[in-house]
Amino acid sequence: MTEATQSQALEPQATDPKGPAIEANALTKIFSDPKRGDIAAVQDLDLACNYGEVMGLLGPNGAGKTTTLRMLSTILAPTRGTATVAGADVTNDPITVRERVGFLSGTTGLYPRLTAKEVLQYFGRLHGMDEDTLGQRLEVVIKAFDLDEFLSGRCESLSTGQRQRVSIARAVIHDPRVLILDEPTTGLDLLAASDMIRFVESRREEGRCVLFSTHVLSEAERLCDRIAIVHAGRVLAVGTTQELREETNEEWLEDVFRAFVARANQTLTDEADNL
Amino acid sequence: MASQTRLHATLRVAAKELRETLRDRQTALTTLVLPICMYPVLFWVMVQGFLVLQGQKERTEVRVGVINQESVAEDLLRALDRGQDEHEDYQANRLVLVDLGAQEDVPRAELLERQGKDSSPADPTLAGVLSFAPQGAQLHVNRSEPKGELTEGRITNRLARHVELLREQAAQDRGYAPTALEPLRLERKDVGPESDKGALILAMLLPMLLVTICVMGAFFPAVDLSAGERERGTAETTLLLPIPRLWVLQGKVLAVASLAMIATSFNLVALGISAEGLLATLLQGSSITINLPWQALLAIAPLTLLFALFAGATLTAISGLARNFKEAQAMLGPVQLLFIMPAIAGIMPGIDLTPGLALVPVLNMTLAAKSMLLGKVLPLEYTLVAVSLLISGWLALNLAVRLLSREAFATSSATIPLRKLVSFLRSDGDASR
Repeated sequence: MTEATQSQALEPQATDPKGPAIEANALTKIFSDPKRGDIAAVQDLDLACNYGEVMGLLGPNGAGKTTTLRMLSTILAPTRGTATVAGADVTNDPITVRERVGFLSGTTGLYPRLTAKEVLQYFGRLHGMDEDTLGQRLEVVIKAFDLDEFLSGRCESLSTGQRQRVSIARAVIHDPRVLILDEPTTGLDLLAASDMIRFVESRREEGRCVLFSTHVLSEAERLCDRIAIVHAGRVLAVGTTQELREETNEEWLEDVFRAFVARANQTLTDEADNL
Repeated sequence: MASQTRLHATLRVAAKELRETLRDRQTALTTLVLPICMYPVLFWVMVQGFLVLQGQKERTEVRVGVINQESVAEDLLRALDRGQDEHEDYQANRLVLVDLGAQEDVPRAELLERQGKDSSPADPTLAGVLSFAPQGAQLHVNRSEPKGELTEGRITNRLARHVELLREQAAQDRGYAPTALEPLRLERKDVGPESDKGALILAMLLPMLLVTICVMGAFFPAVDLSAGERERGTAETTLLLPIPRLWVLQGKVLAVASLAMIATSFNLVALGISAEGLLATLLQGSSITINLPWQALLAIAPLTLLFALFAGATLTAISGLARNFKEAQAMLGPVQLLFIMPAIAGIMPGIDLTPGLALVPVLNMTLAAKSMLLGKVLPLEYTLVAVSLLISGWLALNLAVRLLSREAFATSSATIPLRKLVSFLRSDGDASR
């Protein structure tokens, strides 16, 4: 990316009501395993998510949620298909995507020997912020996530909850248009999980797009404007909880989920029989 | 917000990696603390050990059996017994003569052996047998015993000095100059400046140390910034930085090279200061002077920087194959030898810097440093060394970038098998992402 475009991308980020915040078409990721051969972790995934919307990827372990989120945040390159995030293509313009996205997962660790403040400053500076802007953003995130107490403590000495707060602050230090969260409440106690949910809600109110994965049904039901049910690397259904209930004639989200998975398994069996 | 240049971003990454690495106890210990503490302590122990050994050697008393002692002049016996030098400490380098009488028919080796078997604390073993006959003297010692060589040295020196004095005395008695009875006196003179001899010693030691210390200095940082990052689970975080991965990896390699340079400087300074004491003791009595050749060292510094970049990139690339710190350490052990062996070869006499050898990485660094310390002006060869190191460093950096920017580095916990590595290197990698 040229310096000019990078500078442009670092202008204060306003939400873009036109066009989707995230759009994936036939997104596919195939991993090569020496023993098992090629494994399709995600297959022909189509997805669209708008600004001011919270979308949940709901699926069991191994469904392809994390791989999808990693492709959208440019950690992994798609094998096939296309995706644009905040107006930038994940394959052709990954750096712009990273400038406009905040990504957080259980495996995005904090640098243990840096202090919380140093981590935030490091990311802020590499996002091209000048010292004044960085100072202002630091004040905002320190206040928002209540980091004051342990700001000067090395990350290795922080508790799980404190680390999670610093991680979120790290993900939003550059005020991203799109936030991608991979199972953000896993491992958190009740209070910390509740803080996380409130944070996601606040981002929606600010007109940002939040895409997050979870296998906690209650969390998905409470937070999500729309839910995408993912199973075996494919999206089985997308809609509001109400729409999904109506489609399956089930009352409880757990049963809705089971119904879609059963339907998908039946289709796969039929396809295998036809072959 | 300000725009970012490649240099700014690379330096920011390097500064962060330096800060983080120096906060690691193991790295700080090996890079900074160890040289400051280890060399003075190590060299103090060596000096003390040398002095103790020297003292022990001097205090060792040797017993020599003398056959036909009654046929020997009194002054010769006195010369053997306590040496001729007036100032010689009688208690040091003692040689006790034991009269064995005639014993013409007994083999001398048997005499030594017999004395060994019969010896008691009150009557210790003989270290040698000196037999006098009209045609001359014979000395029998067992050189496989520590005292054998000591005995031979003491007797040879004392007899030679005694013979010399007898000759001088005889010449003077006849009214000649003391040296008149010497058919030819060979006087040896070394016309080489003493400082050059010091430079030669440095040229033998410093180039190898330079390479070895530089590689060792890059070792822990390289492991820490690649396999260590993977183990700590921060590789994914690094891949989220909004700059090309190539810049991130350049920053990492720069940090490793900087730490290697810091370690090299600290080690050499600490080594130089500590070695001064050791050399002063070892070279006691010699007029050899060892002065640090600052001009040569300044000329070596840019080449060392290029070498540090090459070594840093190579070690970082290889440790990027490992899944954790321990595995990376095991992988880098043999690689260190690949650096150290050519360094040792480079200091061997007869191997000099030629345009051809200037292209061989590692060996060229040792040879260039050796030539510079000896004051040789070889502009073509030095330029070739710099170009060769630059190209090797660039290739190693590319290898590191390809290995560390691959997806599996952040997302897989497995070691990269060699078969996959080859296919991976053939592909374009993800450095541009």
